[in-house]
Amino acid sequence: MNPLRVAAVFRRIVAQFRRDPRSLALLFVAPLAIIALLGWVLSSAQATTARVAVVDESGGPAGTIVASRLQSALDGQPGIALDRSVADDATARQMLKDKKLDLVVILPADFTVQNRKIELLTLGLNPTGEASVIPAVQAALIGALADSAGAMLPTIERQTVYGSPDATQLDSLAPVVVGFFAYFFVFILTGISFLRERIGGTLERLLATPVTRAEIVLGYSLGFGFFATLQVAIVMAFVLGRLAIPALGPVPAFAIGLGVRTAGNPLIAYLLVLVLGLGAVSLGIFLSTFARTELQILQFIPIVIVPQGLLGGFFWPIDQLPSLLQPIARILPVTYAIDGLRQVMIAGADLSSPQVLLDLGVLVGIAAFFVVLAAGTIRREVA
Amino acid sequence: MTVTPTPPAPAVEAIALRKDFGPIHAVDGIDMALTPGRIYGLLGPNGSGKTTLIRLLAGLASATSGKARVLGVDMPSRPNLARIGYMTQADGIYPELSVWENLSFFAALYGQTDKAEMRRTLQLVELDGRQGTPAQDLSGGMRRRLSMACALAHHPAVIFLDEPTVGVDPALRVQFWNHFHRLAADGATLVVSSHVMDEADRCDELLFIRDGHVLAQGTPAELRKRAGTENLESAFLQFAGESGGPAASGPTAKETAR
Repeated sequence: MNPLRVAAVFRRIVAQFRRDPRSLALLFVAPLAIIALLGWVLSSAQATTARVAVVDESGGPAGTIVASRLQSALDGQPGIALDRSVADDATARQMLKDKKLDLVVILPADFTVQNRKIELLTLGLNPTGEASVIPAVQAALIGALADSAGAMLPTIERQTVYGSPDATQLDSLAPVVVGFFAYFFVFILTGISFLRERIGGTLERLLATPVTRAEIVLGYSLGFGFFATLQVAIVMAFVLGRLAIPALGPVPAFAIGLGVRTAGNPLIAYLLVLVLGLGAVSLGIFLSTFARTELQILQFIPIVIVPQGLLGGFFWPIDQLPSLLQPIARILPVTYAIDGLRQVMIAGADLSSPQVLLDLGVLVGIAAFFVVLAAGTIRREVA
Repeated sequence: MTVTPTPPAPAVEAIALRKDFGPIHAVDGIDMALTPGRIYGLLGPNGSGKTTLIRLLAGLASATSGKARVLGVDMPSRPNLARIGYMTQADGIYPELSVWENLSFFAALYGQTDKAEMRRTLQLVELDGRQGTPAQDLSGGMRRRLSMACALAHHPAVIFLDEPTVGVDPALRVQFWNHFHRLAADGATLVVSSHVMDEADRCDELLFIRDGHVLAQGTPAELRKRAGTENLESAFLQFAGESGGPAASGPTAKETAR
């Protein structure tokens, strides 16, 4: 291992990047733009008002009483606009279809004091989104029925061990996004960069010099590790920081950064992402063997990147995946990075946490595995 | 690593050298011994095995059987690569990097860090006024010169040049050859593959290559005399005919790069 040759490879990669503004933009501007968009969407999703109607199909005395109590309980609830004009089931369905109502509470024809089944009807185009109004309706229902029963009902206050129950989707996604972007962009850029070496004849030329394969892979890792470092630093600063800009003349006040709270040390989070990124460098070198053109590198995205996004714990916890997919999820590096990042940034774990050490250890192992694979694909008869 | 010190030891040697790609014998038992300080021309049609032979000698491939030795060291040998220069058929330079960045990168890999030496190399290929120009903005001939500079910056004792003058205009070609002769005069051994006949005449010695064999070796004058022909092209065809193959596959002046 000759440090001068490693340094030469490192310097060359830095110089190539400096002269490639598009790749620089991809590395530094694109993640910020995407995260800013994500933060904007998630943190200020419109608090919509659900239009609700109560329909009494029973015609019996119990139904009439419950319906009127329900209506008065719902009326004036925050986020709910009660429509008292709807008289029957058919009208309600038509109004749902016409997007004039969001939810209908139906007291069915067989509703009696004994049979208190109530139906909630929504359109069904976006079941998850439509369900978001159900808790408010349920609360009103409980209130209405409790009044009729005259009972004292307990109130519920939610608490969490880590973070706060008010944590938004953004708070749990932000740590993940940091790691995922580093992985994605480092993989794409290394893959394309090394493919160019292979098809441009420079790799043949490199191998005619005394440089070793290990020196090439190490130089690449340092070069792309350097840019991954900068990227992660900028993205983390953007995610964690928040700089309020006061209104100035016609420009309204706005804020730069998402201001996500981190419970743990950002340096440990950064370490996790760096090791993940180093694995991506070697993976890029390795997979460039199987590509002939830059387009073919992009064809690896559905194979390499998308499954990691779906299975790595980005949206769903590993434990909730189908049992067949769980072993697959557990061999993906992103899985461990996401777990480690959440441990650090949400649960405030540090390097004394066995969980974080395990995540870090697995990431180091995966990176080392791909370093060996990558060196193996740089074909030369002499080592 | 042992370097034989005896003076007339060949700079480049092949002993029953053979390289198979599956059923194809790309290099089919070549013996040769090249004396230091001379320019050797490898002449043959496309697919005759010139590039494979150079790759074996330059340590980029290992032989199926037989031996390739450079400066007394069996190839492939990674440390020995520091004493060898290899100019590939493709330019093999980084288009987004400047002339100076390309040169200093390859020089550093060969262990050459002397900036004055690198500047001298750039002067030799007449690119000293273009140090900051990105390689992609150079003309084809300039890129060829940069590619050559990258193979020479570390003063190799043995230099392999695979079709160095493809795409180079006649005036520059003359300069290239003058430079090759200066390097040889300084003691370097050059192995140049080519197919242009007037270039072949500038070599000290020629090796006619076809189907992985050396058909004949000698000075251009010797080869013409032995074949009894006026020009080298006819001489090549004469030797090719003797070896029993179809004579039509001789090198032509219009061959293009692989």
